[in-house]
Amino acid sequence: MRKYLWPAAFIVAASLAGCGGEPAAQDQLTVDTATDSTKEERMAKTKKIFYNIPSPMETAALLKKAGAQYNSKILNDVKNVDKYTAASQQALNLGVYGADLSYASVFNHTQESMFYTSCSRKLADRLGVTNAFNDSTLELMQSKMNDRDALLDIISTTYWDVDAYLKENGRDNISALMIAGGWVEGLYVATQVTTTNDTPDLRRRIAEQKHALDDLVALVSSYGVEDARLDGVKGDLAALQELFKEIKTPEPGATTTEENGVTVIGGNEPPATLTDDQLTAIRDKAASIRNSYIN
Amino acid sequence: MRNMLSPSLFVRSALLVCAVAGGLSASAQCRSFAKNKCVPELAPYKFNETFNAAQLAPGEEAEVNLTFYSGQEYRVMVCTHPILGEVNWKLVDENNKIVFESLADEPKKFFDLKAGSTVPMKVVVWVPNKGSSSMVHVGCVAIMVGFKE
Repeated sequence: MRKYLWPAAFIVAASLAGCGGEPAAQDQLTVDTATDSTKEERMAKTKKIFYNIPSPMETAALLKKAGAQYNSKILNDVKNVDKYTAASQQALNLGVYGADLSYASVFNHTQESMFYTSCSRKLADRLGVTNAFNDSTLELMQSKMNDRDALLDIISTTYWDVDAYLKENGRDNISALMIAGGWVEGLYVATQVTTTNDTPDLRRRIAEQKHALDDLVALVSSYGVEDARLDGVKGDLAALQELFKEIKTPEPGATTTEENGVTVIGGNEPPATLTDDQLTAIRDKAASIRNSYIN
Repeated sequence: MRNMLSPSLFVRSALLVCAVAGGLSASAQCRSFAKNKCVPELAPYKFNETFNAAQLAPGEEAEVNLTFYSGQEYRVMVCTHPILGEVNWKLVDENNKIVFESLADEPKKFFDLKAGSTVPMKVVVWVPNKGSSSMVHVGCVAIMVGFKE
């Protein structure tokens, strides 16, 4: 018995030591393919497809450039955070608070940024994402409160860490809910801003979300798992897609030109825009979906 | 009792544990690689926060669908772990027309562009096959996008 125990224990210990723990400096795996069939199997794998949905920070920056004003009254109440007990609600609202955090930070409302950071931290904690968003992140943010650029960088990196952590731990559906929650909140904020601060640029940015919405629907639909909440979100996005369908966007195909040594893609097409009726319909639908997520 | 302690059972169990843990560990390594080696190279562009990274082997392919917004400036970068060597990648429009291409024998790390209008595009990355080696090297490939605020 002892004769077998030691070699076996050594193998288990060596395997665990080699596979576990924090990622080391070496960032690759080398797989020894003993048989050709293993190699062929690997080669035959389908390609990996990603959908790059504009992040809350990118959306907030676009809104600011389009002349949007900051309005704290339209953001999710920080007191709501304790209402979210189900993981799906927590994930959606981590996205919602993440978008509110980006909006407040891009417009340099530092105190509110800290409140939204605290809410996001709470939800990340409940979702078990403390590896990516913990007390040291909060402390770092507090220390950079007066340095807007540094604060934006920390928020961006934290959002990325949370998303990556969820994906690498096989919780892609939770990641998708977070991304969907963030995108819906961004659309809600943009459309609400138009009620007091309607500009052609803002309308164009809202109309252009048609592309992001198509990618988001593809992302949410890419999971084979049975997830009732994800199905619900899919339905919400499909309803929005119906409204966005009416919006005219340029024909596919990008022209390229050079401008000071930089490639310019497109530019000859008329920009997408929204009629009053389209804007009202999208605003109402976005509000109804968003309110169903936060309440 | 004898079966529980047989070396082959231990070996199989150990390999199974290793395979599962190895999968998670490889993903974590990919995140770590992308964060430490690739994100800094996007500067002075601001990282767009989206995690598009995967462990790829020769012959495998990845693609990212993305939208460039009018008036914005972007940097598209493909960052590969050295174990894989250089990879091929291209930026194509909705009609699959190539706007930019970087091939493994003449690699370019990034492509800077300005969006004159809002355009949906796609980045396609494929890892070239290298001869008849019996080893498959799997390495992290990160597809990164940065923008100017």
